[in-house]
This record gives sequence, C-alpha cells and structure tokens, in this order.
Amino acid sequence: MTVFCTLAGGGAPAITALQLNAGAIAPESAVLVALLACLLVDLAGEEAASRWVPPICYGGLGTALVLLALQWNAPLEPSFLGSFLADNLAIAFRGVVAASTLLSLLISWRYVERSGTPVGEYAAILLAATLGAMFLCGATDLVSIFISLETLSVSSYLLSGYMKRDARSGEAALKYLLVGSAAAAVFLYGASLLYGLTGGETSLEAVGVALQTSATPVTALALVFVLATVAFKIAAVPFHQWTPDVYEGSPTPVVAFLSVGSKAAGFALALRLLVGCFESFDAQWKVLFTVLAVLSMTLGNVVALAQTSMKRMLAYSSIGQAGFVMIGLVCGTEDGYAAMVLYMAAYLFMNLGAFACIILFSLRTGSDRISDYAGLYQKDPLITLGLSLCLLSLGGIPPMLGFFGKIYLFFAGWADQQYLLVVVGLITSVVSIYYYISVIKMMVVKEPQEASDVVKAYPEISWSLTGMQPLRAALVGCVLVTAIGGILSNPLFTWANSAVAGTPMLQHAIAASESAVAALG
Amino acid sequence: MLSALLLIPLVGALLLLVWPGDPESQRWRWATLALLGLQLFWSLAVLLRFDPAIGGAQLLEVAPWVGTLGLEYRLGVDGLSLPLVLINGVLSFVAVAVTAADTSRPRLYHALLLLISGAVNGAFLAQNTLLFFLFYELELIPLWLLIAIWGGRNRAYAATKFLIFTALSGMLILGAFFGLALATGSADFSFNPLLAQDVGLGVQLLLLGALLVGFGIKIPLVPFHTWLPDAHTEASTPVSVLLAGVLLKLGTYGLLRFCLGLFPEAWGVMAPWLAGWAALSVLFGSLAAIQQQDMKRMVAYSSVGHMGYVLLAAAAATPVSLQGALFQMISHGLISALLFLLVGVVYSATGTRDMNVLRGLLNPQRGLPLTGSLMVVGVMASAGIPGMAGFVAEFLVFRGSLVAFPLQTLLCMVGSGLTAVYFLLLVNRAFFGRLDTPPTTQQVVLPSIPLGHQIPAMALAVAILAIGLLPQGLGSLMERSSFALTLPPRVIAASLDSAISSATTTPAIRLEQG
Repeated sequence: MTVFCTLAGGGAPAITALQLNAGAIAPESAVLVALLACLLVDLAGEEAASRWVPPICYGGLGTALVLLALQWNAPLEPSFLGSFLADNLAIAFRGVVAASTLLSLLISWRYVERSGTPVGEYAAILLAATLGAMFLCGATDLVSIFISLETLSVSSYLLSGYMKRDARSGEAALKYLLVGSAAAAVFLYGASLLYGLTGGETSLEAVGVALQTSATPVTALALVFVLATVAFKIAAVPFHQWTPDVYEGSPTPVVAFLSVGSKAAGFALALRLLVGCFESFDAQWKVLFTVLAVLSMTLGNVVALAQTSMKRMLAYSSIGQAGFVMIGLVCGTEDGYAAMVLYMAAYLFMNLGAFACIILFSLRTGSDRISDYAGLYQKDPLITLGLSLCLLSLGGIPPMLGFFGKIYLFFAGWADQQYLLVVVGLITSVVSIYYYISVIKMMVVKEPQEASDVVKAYPEISWSLTGMQPLRAALVGCVLVTAIGGILSNPLFTWANSAVAGTPMLQHAIAASESAVAALG
Repeated sequence: MLSALLLIPLVGALLLLVWPGDPESQRWRWATLALLGLQLFWSLAVLLRFDPAIGGAQLLEVAPWVGTLGLEYRLGVDGLSLPLVLINGVLSFVAVAVTAADTSRPRLYHALLLLISGAVNGAFLAQNTLLFFLFYELELIPLWLLIAIWGGRNRAYAATKFLIFTALSGMLILGAFFGLALATGSADFSFNPLLAQDVGLGVQLLLLGALLVGFGIKIPLVPFHTWLPDAHTEASTPVSVLLAGVLLKLGTYGLLRFCLGLFPEAWGVMAPWLAGWAALSVLFGSLAAIQQQDMKRMVAYSSVGHMGYVLLAAAAATPVSLQGALFQMISHGLISALLFLLVGVVYSATGTRDMNVLRGLLNPQRGLPLTGSLMVVGVMASAGIPGMAGFVAEFLVFRGSLVAFPLQTLLCMVGSGLTAVYFLLLVNRAFFGRLDTPPTTQQVVLPSIPLGHQIPAMALAVAILAIGLLPQGLGSLMERSSFALTLPPRVIAASLDSAISSATTTPAIRLEQG
C-alpha cells in the first residue's frame, strides 16, 4: 500500500498532470495480495494450504474492509486517469461484496474440504471474483467496467463448475458460460456504440455528455444493450433463465456469493451506467426497469412457490428480491437510492445466514430437498432457528432486519408515486411469505413421527471437524444481525443515507429530477 | 410505565426460549403464568394511574426509532385502548391457565403465547401508525404456529388460510398508511385526523376502502370472514379464547382508531353503506350459526354476527353508539372467551362437539352440570338478556344507531334475536334432554371436571354479570375517548351547516361560525 501511496503522491504529478491516486484501490490491493498468497501457499501442498489459506483470506478481506471504512467520506478524486472513483456508493457496495466473500468463505471450508477439491485454488478464484466485483462497483470507464465485469464473470464460471465430479456442476458452468458470454458480447456491442457516439472517449462522464445531445435510434439501441447486461447480472426477469440452473448445480457456497456479492456489483453497475450516463434517457430506462421489476417480483415469487429444491427456491426468491431492490432504482430519489443500499446490506446478512443453514444441513445429511427438512426442530434446533429467522426476514416479517429494509423500499417507492411497483411489491410479499413459511412449517410444525427419513437418521451434532467452527461463527453472526439488526437499525439507515449523500453522481441525479418536478409543478 | 406492558411478555418470551432446561418440563407453564400475572398486575397499575378526565392519549412514552421512515416508538393509552389492554391481560392469563397440562412442546407454546400477548399490547398502545403495523404483523407468525402445531386434524389448512388472509390484510393496511402519511409529502405517521384534510375526497375514500377491507378481514366481516370458522374449529381452546377475545379486537380497534379516527370526512360519506354492510354481516353470521352442527363453529359464526354490531355503531358514530361499540368489544371478548372455554370442556369430556350426538349434558349426576349452567349464563349474555354485559352493549349500540340508521339498526336487531334462536338450539340439543338416549344402550358417565379447572370460566361469568349490573365504571373509563371520536362527524355537520347557511348569511358571519 505504501508503494502505491508514494506512486500517487510523488511520482504521478511529475509524469503527467492527471492524477493516478492509486490509494483509492488500496482495499482491492489487500484482496489481491491475499489472492497471490493463496496461490503461493497452494504450491506448498494440500496440507499447508488447508492450514494457511483461511487465515490469509480473513486477513486480506478484513484489511480490505478496514481500508474501505477509512475511505468513507474521504475527499473525492478520480483515480487512474478517471477510470475509477471511490465515492461513498462505491465504498458501500465494495463493502457488501467483500463482506459477502468473507462470509461465503467462512461457510465454504468444510464444503470444499469434503468435496476433495483443492482449497487454495478455490479461495484464489473466489478472491479473483471478489476483485472483479469490487472494481466493478467503482469503475467509471467503459474499458475498466468491461475488464472488471469479465474478471467477475470468468471467475464465476470457474466457481460454478468447481465440483468437477458432479455432472450438474458442469452443466451449470456451461450454461453460465454460454449465457454469460452472450451477455458480455452484447455489452461490448453497446459499449462500442457509446464509444462511437462520444467520438472516441471511454469515460462515463464523456458518454453522459455525448448522450445528452444525441437522441438517435443508435443511442436507444445502446441503452437496450447496456440494460440487458445489467439485467443479466442482477438476474431480472426475463434475463433470469440462467439463475435456477446455475444455482442448483453450483456448489452452495458459490451460490451464496453469486446471489449477494455478484448481485451487489450488478446493482452498482446499474447505478453507474443508468443514473450516471443515461440521464437524458431517464424516462425510457425507468419505464423499462419498471417492467423488469414487476416481472421479477411476480415471476420470481410465484415460481418459487412450486420448488422442491431448497437451492432452486432460494434462486427464485433471489430473483424476486432483486425485483424489490429495483423499486429503489426506479424511484431515483434520495430515499430510493438509500433504500437500495440498505436492502443490499440487509440482504447480505439474511441471505447468507439462510445459505449457512442449508450448507450445514446438506453437510450433515447430503440433502437439499425441502421435504427432507421435515421435523428438523427435534434434531437440530440451531439450523431450525437460524433458517426460520432468516427466511422470516426475507419475507419481511417484523422485527427482523428485512422488514425494515422492505418497508424502506416501499416507503421510498410510494413517496415517489410508483404506486404500481409498490402494490405489486406488497402483493408478492404475501406470496413470498407463503413459500418461506412452508419451509418453516416443514421444520417446526411437523411432529417427530412425520419427520423425513433423512432427519430420522440425523447424525450426532459435532463441531470438531475442520471448517465447522467458521461455519458456525458465520451462521450465528448472520442470524444475530438479522434478528437484532432490525430493532437497532437506525445507524444502518444513517449509513445508507450518508452513502447517497457522499456520492456526487447520485446527488446530481436527485437534483436534476427534483428540478424537473419543480418545473412541471 | 407502558413499556413494561411490552417488555414483560416479550422479554419473557425470549428468556423462555433460551433458558436452559428440560423443554418438556411443567416449569414453563408456571413461569408464563407468573409473567402474565405480573403483566395483568401492571395493567391494573396503569388503570390506577389513568385519568379518565383526559380525552387524548396519556402516560406517553416517546423515543426516536427510525427517523428516516417516520417510525417513532411512541406509546400512549386512552379510554379506547385501556380496556382492551386490560382484557388482553385477563384473557392471556386465562388462556395459559386453561392450557392442558400434557400439552406437547410446552416451552415453545408458552413463549408464543407471551409473544402474542406482548404484540397485542403493543398494537393497542402504539401512537404511530407504522408502529401499530409492526405489532400487528408481529402477532401473525406466533398465532400461525399456535394453530399449525397444536391444532386439530385439519390444522395445516386452517393455519395457512389464516396466514394468507391476515398477511393480505396487513399489506392493505400498510398501503393505506403509506397513502395517508405520504400524501402530504412528508413522512408523518402520527395519529392526526387533520392529515386527511389535505387529500382529496376520492383518495380518502380509496384509502379508507383499503383500510376497511384490511380490518374487515381481521374483524371479520362478511365476505372476508371465511378464515375464522376454520381457524376456530382447528385451534385448541386457549388459542380460540385468545383469537376471539383479543385478536379480533385488533380489527375493531383499527376500525375505530384508524378508519373512523383518521378519515372522518370519507367515513361520513360511506357511513350509510357501512351500516348496511354491518346489517348484512350480522344477519349472515346469525343465519350461518343456526345451520352449524359443530358447537365451536356455531360460536365462531356468532362472533361474525356480533362483530357486525361494532361496525354498525361505528358507522352511526354518535356518542352513545360509540360507547356501545366499546362495550360490545369488551363484552364480546369476555362472552366468546367463556363460550369457547365451555365448548372446550365439553369436547375434552365427551370427545365430540357435534350437536347431533350430544344430549343431556346438564344431567346432575353423570353429566357436566356446572359447565352446563355456565353455558346457559354465557348464552344468555350473548343473546343480550338484561343484567349481563351483552345487554348493556347491544342496548347502547342500538339506542345510539337507531337515530342515524333506523332500517339498518332494525335489521341488526333481528340478527340479535336470531342469536337467541341458535344458542337456544345449542342448549336445547346438547344440554337438555336425556343423557343416554337410544341408540346408546349402556349408561353414559362423563368424567367429572375438578372444580379448580372451572375457576377461569366462573371468573369470566362473574365479570360478565358484573359489567352487566354495574356498567358505570367501565363506561366512565371510556366516555371521554368515545366522545373524542364522535367529534369529527360533528365537524362535518358543522361544515355542512355553514355551507347551508353560507347561502343566506354574509361571509363575516360564516367566519365567526368557523
């Protein structure tokens, strides 16, 4: 880090008048160092790797989170000649990404160990995906966006195919690769159109300026292409078809990361591109996103009803949840953006808590079917309680964290008169309560004699195996934050609001939309 | 002071869940009884501190919570909420007291009962609509579990039906609260009837409609009532007691507090239709009750009918009728709790609730004489025989509403008469006659119920008589608050008057009137 600082402070002005400001990516550097260290340790053999990789990852990601906290509200200067910007929005989303990786790693050691695949490699690829996602959150240049997007995507393909012996994992990786590559190609085409419109500039700022003056069909085409990429990344209906298959086949800890970290990066990208660049097409993309949000909430939540596999159910529920978050995006008000940030942070804990529980269950029983959870309360109170609380939170039941997040989204939506979105959100929430509750019903309501065979043969609970302690720590931590975080959520609201307040791009958009309203009124 | 009413049951529930110890032990029951006893004692202490002369909310407790959302921790009590808090204290205690000793999973069961009791207190005491909604939703999952785990044979269906209906009602209510609070542009979720004035009448009617359907599901009013008979039939006796006695009151409380209290203008417009809806609900509930063969279903349908009176009284919104609405809420809470307790006793003694099978339960040697006598008391109270709580309530409701809506009130009185019909059918079939009629050949001997187990029912019967004979105490408690609720319609009347007089008088005089 010091090297970067001296480079930024001393060397840069001498070479050129533009600043490098490399200190902005200090958190990413920490992750990168951890990544390299993991690869190096992996060379020393399986045993050394399984011993040293976890502490290295904790160290790297922990340092990254601390450095991110130090960057909060720091004076803003574009770094790397304007291709990266560490505003509060970027910091908040990078924090969510780094935290989701940390938690995903905590819950994956045992899982990876058991599947017999190398730990060091796994951690390195996941850290590479994290690196891509974190860069994506702050990228302000078409080239850097594409590179970080591809870093994230390629690592994700590798991760979803990581269980080589499992045919479903291979299928997931192939599907993800094919659809993902198509999405990348579409994005590149859109980016090339934008590049042409600006007359040879790649920075988003230049693109935004160029778009304001050119309202041609080509611009609309570029908008559609960019929108498709974003929608693919956040798995909005109808760009969601890859999600259920990929989620079902991929290793569960990877799904945990994909559903939170990768999605958070996707939303950061959406804000940068749509709010930052396509300001002059405000009305158009908002209409498109309203349609996407309505479809996502409806289809995600309704199809989740019919699922029998836990992972598939959570996949469809994550589509629905992304639909709720899109309400905030469409609002374009201060509250809307803040609600997005807040809900992503809440989603991080409740979703990863739920994933920790289903990983623990599948480690103990090898099953992923919802019906196999029947009667679990007798054998494993921890999973039952943890999963129940996290699912209730996802369903928006008070006093869980998810209730406050969802209320804030609806509140922001209603205040911005997005009545259709809020009404659809309210109705689909009831639907979502139904399928979350049916899992709880399986676990809590079924009597011992109705228990599934898997639960009847439930193994003795033990935490002594390697990787079980971190799993327990992550599970308990997530569940505690989900359960208590709601009651003590005021600091979280303040944090989300200051994330929006410390982001010039969003402030500019809010001011613009307010003046538009004032002009109308 | 008021926070303790939330803290005692809610913290108690959490402690119960995490306290180490044998989950099957009987200790949980005694601990819960102690906690609920403390809660009841505390609500009596609140009653002592309460000053009936003050119209608005008192003993306020305010703390900031989530400022961005306009969610404030703001508790207060007035004449409308205090009796409901008291009845919640009493019936929660009764529910635990009548819980069978061999109930499975006692730790979870009692923790859930405590959660419900605390959430209901919170909903009655909340002085912020968002806070009310939070507590309203909080009670949903525990009650669902209570029906789904400890219910009858068809419990899964009934519990899910209850869950969907109530969740839907919650969403309607939330939408309406958002609509009202954000109509002015700022997030104001306080109980302020002036809020609605800035909204056009059309929007007001829309929001009021959403609230009416939302609370109509909870009360329940025809045609949103279908979850109730199922829930009651499948729920165990203590849960039925809580459901009928306390949880349905959340609906009528919301009707008075939010529908009437926050949208006085729109309410005035809709009142005749609401009274008609009330009459429909009363007649439908009573006629459906006549048809039932299952005793518990009959009592459940009688709830549908009797809750209709509250809507009638609220629609009329005269001082007397609102006083009657409050009386009806309290007396229905006590009477239906008593009836469900007794039906529960009959069911546990005979194994059936089918009125085609049951005969002669009043038999002094081999039957259930005390239960039967109490049942006669409960039935008389429910049918509105003078000297009982039901009479006072119904008399006030009809007396107050007759001036406003004569036809609808008369229809409701017919419904009240039908109450006597179906409850006479019940008593006549199940309790009178010979215990062992053919085809039974051998002598039926029902197990005798220990006197100790009858104490809760007897206490409720005494309370019903006490309110019927001495209604003044309760009345003076609620007088100011019910009077405060009637003010808004008067405002409308005044504005109507001024509108009429403006045609004839000069603007200067109109200003004086205003």
